[in-house]
Amino acid sequence: MATSAKPIIEVRGLTKRFGSAVTALDHCDLSIFPGEVVVIVGPSGSGKSTLLRSLNLLETPTEGQVIFEGVDLAGKDVDINRHRQRMGMVFQHFNLFPHMTVLKNLTLAPMTVKGVSQQQAEATARELLKTVGLQDRENAYPIQLSGGQKQRIAIVRALCMQPDVMLFDEPTSALDPEMVGEVLEVMRGLAARGMTMVVVTHEMGFAREVGTRVLFMDAGRILVDAPPQQFFSHPDNPRLSEFLSKVL
Amino acid sequence: MTPLMLAAGLFDFSFLPRYSSYFIKGVQYTLILSAAAVVLAIVPALLLALMRLSKSRVLRFIAGAYISVFRSTPMLVQLSIVYFGLFSVIILPSYMLFGFIDISMFIPGVVALALNSAAYVAEIFRAGILAVDQGQTEAARSLGLTQGQTMKLIVLPQAVKNILPTLANELVTMIKESSICGTLMGIQELMWGAKTVATTTHIIMAPYLVAAVIYFCINFPATKAIEALERRMRRGDVR
Ligand SMILES: Nc1ncnc2c1ncn2[C@@H]1O[C@H](COP(=O)(O)OP(=O)(O)OP(=O)(O)O)[C@@H](O)[C@H]1O
Ligand SMILES: [Mg+2]
Repeated sequence: MATSAKPIIEVRGLTKRFGSAVTALDHCDLSIFPGEVVVIVGPSGSGKSTLLRSLNLLETPTEGQVIFEGVDLAGKDVDINRHRQRMGMVFQHFNLFPHMTVLKNLTLAPMTVKGVSQQQAEATARELLKTVGLQDRENAYPIQLSGGQKQRIAIVRALCMQPDVMLFDEPTSALDPEMVGEVLEVMRGLAARGMTMVVVTHEMGFAREVGTRVLFMDAGRILVDAPPQQFFSHPDNPRLSEFLSKVL
Repeated sequence: MTPLMLAAGLFDFSFLPRYSSYFIKGVQYTLILSAAAVVLAIVPALLLALMRLSKSRVLRFIAGAYISVFRSTPMLVQLSIVYFGLFSVIILPSYMLFGFIDISMFIPGVVALALNSAAYVAEIFRAGILAVDQGQTEAARSLGLTQGQTMKLIVLPQAVKNILPTLANELVTMIKESSICGTLMGIQELMWGAKTVATTTHIIMAPYLVAAVIYFCINFPATKAIEALERRMRRGDVR
């Protein structure tokens, strides 16, 4: 990948402990460059979510740095809300706001956080809704949508803030199998348009085809960081081989 | 008086036509008093709940102390302290609201009830806020909303749904508890009405029986309605 470009996110010596017993992340280092699609895989409890959630400081690092666009987010005087505007996040359970219509879900943050006018926010929202084929559902409430539709709306909600990076935490794990495809399709489209993405997923096909790099995590450490071809064809780590033999 | 005559006297309702206004005015007073107390308790209760949930140890302690004190002492004692303490210093003008509510009595009563109610309603709010899925907060914060915006726009609107039935229960409690205002400070609510009729007519029990029936006829259907609402909310999403 572009070695000359500056990383958009840089993680240095990131450690996260929950209490004294659990070390969810153990000195992780990671650089993510603009336009990359970094896919994170690993067994349950290996720290994938914690790593992803540390990137926008939903988890506060115990030690180490998360440098986003040149700013250490864990620093003392950082206005985290300002930086979060430029990092979209998509959750396993969608987390749409159930008391608001789709359109309100999409325009809330641009209007409250960025001060975009309602007219402008709605125009952007409708434009993006069209790209995921849900332009006719803007007045629906989340409860009236299928899982796949909810997740596509959740992606659009994050995109409405026009982020520089999109973070995905198992975006298809809570979906019925027949709805996984439509969500992955939207994510492929995003990647094709050059969005920088960090994706925690169990979809090995997506990792192989869309990922520019694949990370393997185990026990809070990033054990492997390799292009997909090498990652899947020549796993040179015994823990990874074992993991792949189970999931593939 | 033979025991039989005494027993008959207990159920002597002959006072009703003449003294009915005591009960009618009384029940109106009771409803206004309790509703005002609960409404007045809402804002302080919300503040107490937010303090209890805040990161600041000092705020948490203050709110916790307030709530513990008011939940661990009898209402009658709280009422006495507020009425004979606080409102012996603050002198209120005598002004009639709706023609039968003397605000120099009403305000101390409402304040005392509201101070008590705030402690209970605060816990109702806290539970309602905690019952909102943590993922909602995470989604809002990940979009760049501040903690305050998240609370106001995302968490509280959803918490209200959890809170409403319990808040209605608090109103039922207040309708009952407000009766001590009549006994202690002579506020002319339903219980005071019953007591006054009993002393004036020398009919010992029947007036209280009438009061009990009225309290029951308000609170029992209300409680049933709240239960039904709660069941419906648990079953499906009521917006
Ligand atoms: N809030 C928390 N409090 C305590 N322990 C936690 C917390 N969040 C995560 N952990 C622990 O940290 C470790 C890493 O968790 P994490 O959720 O990051 O794993 P994961 O790789 O995302 O797993 P999964 O595939 O099941 O989602 C686990 O041992 C987990 O139990
Ligand atoms: Mg996870």
